[in-house]
Amino acid sequence: MTDGNQMTCGICRPKGLCGGRGLVTLKEGAWANNPLAIQILGICSALAVTGRLENSLVMGAALIFVCVGSNLLVSLLRKYTPHRIRMVAEVAIIATFVILFDQFLKAFYWDMSKQLGPYVGLIITNCIVMGRAEAFALQNPPMLSIVDGLANGLGYAVVLAIIGFFRELLGSGEILGYKIPGFTEWYTPNQLMILAPGAFFALGIVIAIFNAIKGPDPEEKK
Amino acid sequence: MKGSAYTLVYAAALGTVCAAVLTFAATFTKPYQDDNREAEEAKNILLALNVPIPEKTPAKELVALRNEKVQEIERGDITTYVYSPVGANAQPEAVAVRFAGPGVWGPVKGFLAMDPGLTKILAITFYEQEETPGLGGEIVKDWFCRRFIDLAIRGADGKPGIIIGTGEDAPNRVDGISGATMTCDKVQEMLNEAIKKSIVKEQ
Repeated sequence: MTDGNQMTCGICRPKGLCGGRGLVTLKEGAWANNPLAIQILGICSALAVTGRLENSLVMGAALIFVCVGSNLLVSLLRKYTPHRIRMVAEVAIIATFVILFDQFLKAFYWDMSKQLGPYVGLIITNCIVMGRAEAFALQNPPMLSIVDGLANGLGYAVVLAIIGFFRELLGSGEILGYKIPGFTEWYTPNQLMILAPGAFFALGIVIAIFNAIKGPDPEEKK
Repeated sequence: MKGSAYTLVYAAALGTVCAAVLTFAATFTKPYQDDNREAEEAKNILLALNVPIPEKTPAKELVALRNEKVQEIERGDITTYVYSPVGANAQPEAVAVRFAGPGVWGPVKGFLAMDPGLTKILAITFYEQEETPGLGGEIVKDWFCRRFIDLAIRGADGKPGIIIGTGEDAPNRVDGISGATMTCDKVQEMLNEAIKKSIVKEQ
C-alpha cells in the first residue's frame, strides 16, 4: 500500500493506460477507497436491494453503467460547463443515464424492475455517482474518468454482491433462486437476514472485514 | 468566467439533448413496456379470481389465458370479470371488479374479487402502486392481501363497506399496516367505492 499515492505504477509506466494513472485510479476506487466499505456512501440502496443476489447484481450493473456514462460525459464537457451550473448539469447527465437504465429494465426485465422498485430511480441521488462526477470527472480527462467510474462502480457492485450472496444464502437457503444440494434440505432459513436488520448486520460485518484487511488509514495515524 | 448568456445557452442545449435522448428511449421501449403492463394486469385478474395458472407462464400466454378463462361483462360504468370453471354447471365462481384511486404518492390500482352473491371478498390484488417501500408498499405483499380473504363486505348493520384499521371486531374489519395509515385509509376508500358500485349495479 506504500506506492498507492504515486502517479506511476510498475505495469503501465510511463505511457501506459492514461499516462500511468489508470491502475492507480482503478485500485483507489475499487479497493483503497471503496465507496461502500471504506467511504460508506450509497448505503441506502445497498441495504434495500441486497435481499437476493440477483437484485444485487442488477443494481451493481446499473451503478457501473451510470457511473461510467456520467463520468465520461461530465469529463468531456468539463471545459465547456459554466462553473455556476456545473452541479445542475451533472445531475441532468446522471438522471439521463439512470432513466435510460430504468426504461431498459421496464421493457426487457419487468420482474426485476418490479423487485427493485424505486431504487433504480434513486441512483440519481446516489452520492457515489455525484461524488465521482464532482470530485474526479470535473478535473480529469475522459479516459481516466471512465476508469474511475468503472472502478467505483465495481467497488460498489462487488460489495453489494457479497452482501447479497450471504443474505440470500442465510435468509432463503438458496443462491440466485436455485436450491443448493446438500444445504437447502437441512438448513432452516433465517428470516432476519432478508429483513432490514439483516442488511445492517451484513453490511456492518463486510465493512469490518474490509477495514481489517486494509489496515488503519495512514492519515488517521498521524 | 463565462457570461450569463453562455450559461443560459449551455443549460438549454444540455437540457434539450438529455430530453431528446430520453424521448427516444421512451418511444423505443414503449411497446415492450405496454406488453409487460398488460401481462401484469392479466396476471392480477387471474390471481384475484383464483384461476389456476401453470407455473412459469410466459407473459404473452397470461393475456391469452385471461382471454380464454375470464368473461368480461360491461355494466354501465363498471366492468366485471367473471370466472366460471369448466364443468361446474357453468356457475360463476368469482366476480372481480377493478378498483383505483389516489394513494399517498401516486395512483393505486388493483382488482377486488367477490363471491357471485356479493356477500364477501375472495381476494384482492394490486397491479400498480408507488407507495413508500416497506410501509405503504407492503399492501402488495401476500401477508396483507391474505387478510381480505372471506371478509364480509357489509357491516353488522347491513351497510356496504369494509374497514381497514383499528376498531371493534367486526366481520367487515381487517387490521391495517402500522406506519401506513394514510395508504390504508385510501385503499379502504377505493375498495368501498368499488363495493358500493358493484352492489348498486347488482340490484
